[in-house]
Amino acid sequence: MTRQHTNLQHKVHDSPEETKLLAETWYSPRGFPGWFTQVNQRMIGRRFIITGFIFFLLAGILGLLIRTQLAGPEQEFLGPELYNQFFTMHGTVMMFFFAIPVMEGFAIYVVPLMVGTRDMAFPRLNAFGYYIYLIGGIVLFGSLLIGMAPDAGWFNYVPLAGKEYSPDYGVDIWTTMITFIEVSALTAAVELIVTILRLRAPGMTLNRMPLFVWAALVMSFMIVFAMPAVIVSSTLLILDRLVDTQFFLVDSGGQPLLWQHLFWYFGHPEVYIILIPALGMISTIIITFTGRPIFGYTALVLSVVSIGLVSFGLWVHHMFTTGLPQLGMSFFTAASVTIAIPSGVQIFCWIASLWGAKIRFATPMLWVLGFFAIFVIGGLTGVMVASIPFDTQVHDTFFLVAHFHYVLIGGAVFPLIGALYYWWPKFTGRLMSEKAGKWSFWLAFIGFNVTFFPMHQMGLEGMPRRVYTYTAEMGWGDLNLLSTLGSFVLAAGFGVTLINAIWSLYRGQPAGANPWNAPTLEWATESPPPSYNFRHIPMVESRWPLWDWQRSGERSVVTGLSHWRREVVLTSVLDATPIGVQILPKPTIWPFTSAVAASSGFIGIIFHPIFFVMGFFLVFFTLVAWFWPRRPWKEDE
Amino acid sequence: MRVLEGIDVAAMKRLHPDRRAPLWWGVLGLITIESAVVLAFCVSYLYLAAHAEVWPPTGEAPPLLWPSVNLVLLLLSSVSMFLAGQGINRGNKKQLAIGVTISVVLASIVLVLRSLELMAYDFGWQEHAYGSIVWTISGFHYIHVTSMVLGSTVIAILAWRGYFTRERQIGVVVDTNYWYFVCIAWVPFYLLLYWGPRIHAG
Ligand code: HEM
Ligand SMILES: [Cu+2]
Repeated sequence: MTRQHTNLQHKVHDSPEETKLLAETWYSPRGFPGWFTQVNQRMIGRRFIITGFIFFLLAGILGLLIRTQLAGPEQEFLGPELYNQFFTMHGTVMMFFFAIPVMEGFAIYVVPLMVGTRDMAFPRLNAFGYYIYLIGGIVLFGSLLIGMAPDAGWFNYVPLAGKEYSPDYGVDIWTTMITFIEVSALTAAVELIVTILRLRAPGMTLNRMPLFVWAALVMSFMIVFAMPAVIVSSTLLILDRLVDTQFFLVDSGGQPLLWQHLFWYFGHPEVYIILIPALGMISTIIITFTGRPIFGYTALVLSVVSIGLVSFGLWVHHMFTTGLPQLGMSFFTAASVTIAIPSGVQIFCWIASLWGAKIRFATPMLWVLGFFAIFVIGGLTGVMVASIPFDTQVHDTFFLVAHFHYVLIGGAVFPLIGALYYWWPKFTGRLMSEKAGKWSFWLAFIGFNVTFFPMHQMGLEGMPRRVYTYTAEMGWGDLNLLSTLGSFVLAAGFGVTLINAIWSLYRGQPAGANPWNAPTLEWATESPPPSYNFRHIPMVESRWPLWDWQRSGERSVVTGLSHWRREVVLTSVLDATPIGVQILPKPTIWPFTSAVAASSGFIGIIFHPIFFVMGFFLVFFTLVAWFWPRRPWKEDE
Repeated sequence: MRVLEGIDVAAMKRLHPDRRAPLWWGVLGLITIESAVVLAFCVSYLYLAAHAEVWPPTGEAPPLLWPSVNLVLLLLSSVSMFLAGQGINRGNKKQLAIGVTISVVLASIVLVLRSLELMAYDFGWQEHAYGSIVWTISGFHYIHVTSMVLGSTVIAILAWRGYFTRERQIGVVVDTNYWYFVCIAWVPFYLLLYWGPRIHAG
């Protein structure tokens, strides 16, 4: 807000009774029944993060088992069927059940705090999205336990994924779980967009929004525009498999390539859906640990937005070997190389920010530096495979596996772990051990490179991906053994962080409100934040509110929100002037029942189409119950 | 640190019938997502058509009459929905209730007509890709009309019970906007499924 308010300001007096009342108003019910009714954004965000990391652990174990199988030539440890299920599950779980939800989880937890509000715009929808995700994940992993897991790869190409070549339930489960993730990701995306656009603290103009919030906004828009393509493709495939439509069957005029187009129209942006929040995390960490404003805020925002846009024009580079027309292919090569420009802008702004700064090499910063090293290599091989002749050569070899793990682990997982160390004290009130953090980083960094760097060479020597073994004469044995050893070092690295996290809950040093001296609003409240997030909604006058307040010794807040009802301030989209107050709902069971109703429909259709009708009506009834106005109506005036 | 009172929001409105309400934005988000789905279906239709030798395989485009009637009915129902919204904007509860009810009736007629039309098709979805996409798009839209009829029935019930007022009408706003979307979504499908093959052949 502008100066006009600062003239006649009163000091705010907090009476302890009012604070207590506020805490009760925003209280989340605990215990077993309570768990099913919670709607507060921090509860839901925390669940997304924890569940996401559990899936990371499970899929990581699958990765290790895959590596164990490949450690030497002609091993029989897994066998071809299991191997197919394992790499499919590994890829699918990592991409859909770990990377996207965990990023959403961080956004759901951190964004409302960063923009200085008390919850998200649609708290119940938020809870609904989480239950859908959880149920989908349980079903998917359950299928592995009973040996019916999907096995047609994480992008599930037809005709392999058609009924003729995959008659089992595995692919049905894959398409169904895609539906779960679509629903859950879309609800989170809409939720984040509206929260970011309407619930920012007064004075937080778009131009002052923290970079992580920008990243979350771009990620959400990308989900909104990318997911529909996969909704359609998975629907078409489900129909082909369940009611004998002919979309992908050549004999009756179907087009298998339609699957690839629709899937990759989503699938390429999906990689950036994971990457972009990570970019936001990196900027956030760099600002805090250099202790000064970032270089090129506007350039960073614009480049994130343009990475988001350009990534929608790149999907065909996953299809260079499908024999598309030459001209089209050249266009997509050019577009694929273009993405290097905004990515370059990011890197240069960060380098400029680090240049000459007094950097504190705390653990979060270390993971960011690790990101630089790894991501640059991943980017280089990316430019290489954007060239069609080269791609034709290495397509479906381990070169690709090396490339995308450099991008995904370097580009997303390293910043993510950095962010975990960074926000952990906010989440829990305690710091993780710095010493263990450094051990974890170095083990993971070395282990990562030992695992994945040799894969470039294996790929160039022709070792195909997705093949469960190889003969000794091929001469790939030594590199594979090295890679497998590396993967255990890598896993140990992540394991140290896991232990560190659990240990810190009991023994970690108490953090206080702002242990890193960071400038953004989430650090303006206690750690962990109270049920209402902020005692008063803060007001903001620059990009670095906490640093301003330290200098001036005073700050302004919003007053006049109710203590006995969940209320947040609505502000205008561009310049965040307050325009109203919104009442938010209390904890309720209906999101959970709706999620169960929807899941029963989704899962049921695998066995019979009638479950679609049943699910439809069940969802309808639960939604009516959910939105039915609660008496007394007068209350909300 | 001194904490000062910046703004007092105690007197601000708590209920917003307009674009200040988060729910208004939420439904806009839903419509955006669904529009992208509509687009993806259209693109899939065109992709399959472009790769087919004859489209439709029989060489005959489906009859135009009933789909056109449906188009008119859907557009009319949007008008009555619009008038219903206008009514409650002026605080006229009766106009709201009647308007929503008329829309629900009109859309229910569409459902009946659509059912008859689909039952009369002489090709199934199992026969060829053309049949698959036509049935899928039709089913997709049919389900949407059904959902909007069900949802608006609930709105109509609440309206007859006098729940909505000029301030407390976000439910109506959300419902009408979604209604417009489902009706307008019929336009591209209509053009594609019924005019597409005619223009293509001619
Ligand atoms: C924990 C460390 C990891 C190890 C040891 C590992 C190992 C592997 C290996 C060996 C393959 C190739 C299997 C084959 O083609 O025969 C693979 C595939 C894959 N990995 Fe990982 N990986 C790890 C982490 C990740 C992460 C963090 C992600 C994503 C966020 C990821 C995503 C994928 C995907 C998408 C595939 C392709 C699956 C397919 O071909 O359908 N991996 N991984
Ligand atoms: Cu790509």
